[in-house]
Amino acid sequence: MAVHQFIPALNPHDATGTHTLKLRDALRAAGWRSEIFAEAIHDDLASQAYKHWMYPEHAAEGDVAIYQFTTSSAVAGYLAEQGLPLILDFHDFTAPEYFAGWEPRSVQRAAAAGEELALLAPQAVLGMAKSPFSERQLRRAGCRRTVVVPVLADYGRVTGAPDRRVAAELAALGERGGADILFVGRIVPSKAQHDLVKALWAYRRLYDARARLHLVGGTSSFEYAKALQGYVDDLGLAAAVRITGEVSDAALAAHFAAADVYLSLSAHEGFGVPLVEAMVAGVPVVTRGAGAVAETVSGAALVLAAADPAYIAAALHRACTDDRLRTALVAAGRRRAAELSGGAAAAPLVDAVAGAVAR
Amino acid sequence: MSDTEPTLPADPQAYVEQVMAEIADEVRLRRASGDLPPKLERELDELFLAHSPVAGRGGDLGEALRMVDAATFIDPVVPVESERAAGAVVKKGMRSLLLWYVGWITHQMSQSSSAVSRALHIVDDRLGDLERQVEVQRIPGAKVVEFPALHRPDAWWVEPAVAAVAKAPGRVLHAACGDGWLVRRIDAAGGDAYGVDPRAHLVDAAELGILDLRGEGVAEHLRAVAAAGLGGVVLTGIVDGMGGGERTQLLTAIATRLAPGGALVVHSVSRDAWEAAGAPPEADLSPGRPLRADTWCRLLGDSGYEAVAQPGPGGEDFLVTAVRSSITTPYPPSER
Repeated sequence: MAVHQFIPALNPHDATGTHTLKLRDALRAAGWRSEIFAEAIHDDLASQAYKHWMYPEHAAEGDVAIYQFTTSSAVAGYLAEQGLPLILDFHDFTAPEYFAGWEPRSVQRAAAAGEELALLAPQAVLGMAKSPFSERQLRRAGCRRTVVVPVLADYGRVTGAPDRRVAAELAALGERGGADILFVGRIVPSKAQHDLVKALWAYRRLYDARARLHLVGGTSSFEYAKALQGYVDDLGLAAAVRITGEVSDAALAAHFAAADVYLSLSAHEGFGVPLVEAMVAGVPVVTRGAGAVAETVSGAALVLAAADPAYIAAALHRACTDDRLRTALVAAGRRRAAELSGGAAAAPLVDAVAGAVAR
Repeated sequence: MSDTEPTLPADPQAYVEQVMAEIADEVRLRRASGDLPPKLERELDELFLAHSPVAGRGGDLGEALRMVDAATFIDPVVPVESERAAGAVVKKGMRSLLLWYVGWITHQMSQSSSAVSRALHIVDDRLGDLERQVEVQRIPGAKVVEFPALHRPDAWWVEPAVAAVAKAPGRVLHAACGDGWLVRRIDAAGGDAYGVDPRAHLVDAAELGILDLRGEGVAEHLRAVAAAGLGGVVLTGIVDGMGGGERTQLLTAIATRLAPGGALVVHSVSRDAWEAAGAPPEADLSPGRPLRADTWCRLLGDSGYEAVAQPGPGGEDFLVTAVRSSITTPYPPSER
């Protein structure tokens, strides 16, 4: 008997890609045959997966499919036609309204993802969500049985050996004084990097004129990225805002090591892996409580109701200068991160899959 | 940073809550001192919007079409300037070699774009016709209707309204705020309030350096507020004359923007006061008429609030205080 995984795109250094590979290993360790089938496979992972239409070559009686639901994909329709017992491993997706006015293609794609969720959720024997927030979404879509399970992430990458060149560059900046504020995530409207820039502007005006913001992550929304750059330039913050693009794990570790505070003002998060990475790295977190964020940090961060720059600036000031608060946030963050990233993190997923398969 | 190791708080959760309360106090002080004037915050928002694409600024189709027209022609003759002496020669050589190929591709792309542009112009023309037809049948939006005897700082309903939102879990929005007298009262009671009023001339005349007041429509403003971004909403003078559709849209928007536990306070006049000879002319010009207090309680109760109505002493008005008891899915499909 086999428990195979299907995913729209299998990419390295990507939260869902890492999760899928780790789950594959855990399923194999539990005694199942398990392969990964994807619509798109990154060249670096070509030996790890098959194209989804190659599934019939591997099919056997009693197969179970786990679909890593991340976005709209031809895989959804393909799975609906296969009639396999289906487990939805739901990673949430950004709703279309967050792209409206920016990326018409992303609006269509997000809307299609909603339709595909509505198609698959009622068929699924089990829905696995990454947060109670996402679990509610699964239930609304018609999933009858749901469970919250951890994301299988490689959190250790942020405490690994930092990239020397990047670390030296950041250290040189740090010597100039001023706080280093970090955010990690794709530059897209739903992550609201423009609110981060606005908050930096307020923070520099009110508390720390030498503060810097480091925006780490690539983009899939070029209109938004262009607008963000224009906004940074207009505010005279070109020297204070570093937009790095995608970085290696070692460079990411260097950024976390140099950060005074991690700030997230995302308008939507289904879980928020970088929040946990910040807690693993011992960086105090200030965040907007949108989507599943409050559930992910679970009291181990300063959680703000909205992206109001005056509040954020005041919260950043406390997080950067109040030693007692920093110590408390770091300690609470490490505890929370340990809960979410423990060594047996795969066990609840394997148990949930076993329970669904047994029925 | 101090040399001594800071001690961990005995109750981390209570400690974080205390810090958040201190941050809220700090923000109030900063705002009161004028360190971050509300006007400046608005300018920051507008500055970013100026960079957003046309659709992000509300969809000026004419401007979008001009951009499409300007971008329709794709020039296959690439520039060959170079910082290095040989660079320009190399680039020019490559351009000559590839021009037949690139030119063929760009010609087709330009043709394709021109076809799309023509189709969009036809859509624009037909849309213009439709808009003119719809305009004839348009139901106007409700105006702010204020009764001088009832909308004043010493009115009976002001204290209970302020008390209902002073401890709200977030910022409090007052619409229609006029010159901000109620915003000032809520701030003085320990709340963090700001105001919105479509009568921009009133807002312009207010103390904008001290109070956060915005001259815009409340529905337009709410569209820009994040889900669960408000702790309280006070509505005075704006719901009385609303038609059913406009009122439903407003309440839906408020429901998604109010945080769980947030308060909605509605002050409205009675129908007798609305129909009285001394009522303001805006009452006659409004598309709807006031709901009764019981109807408000029923409406809000059905929308997940716990609502209580309080009649005014003269029977001319009433106050409905409602607390949001359940979470509404942000941004229902109808708002997308």
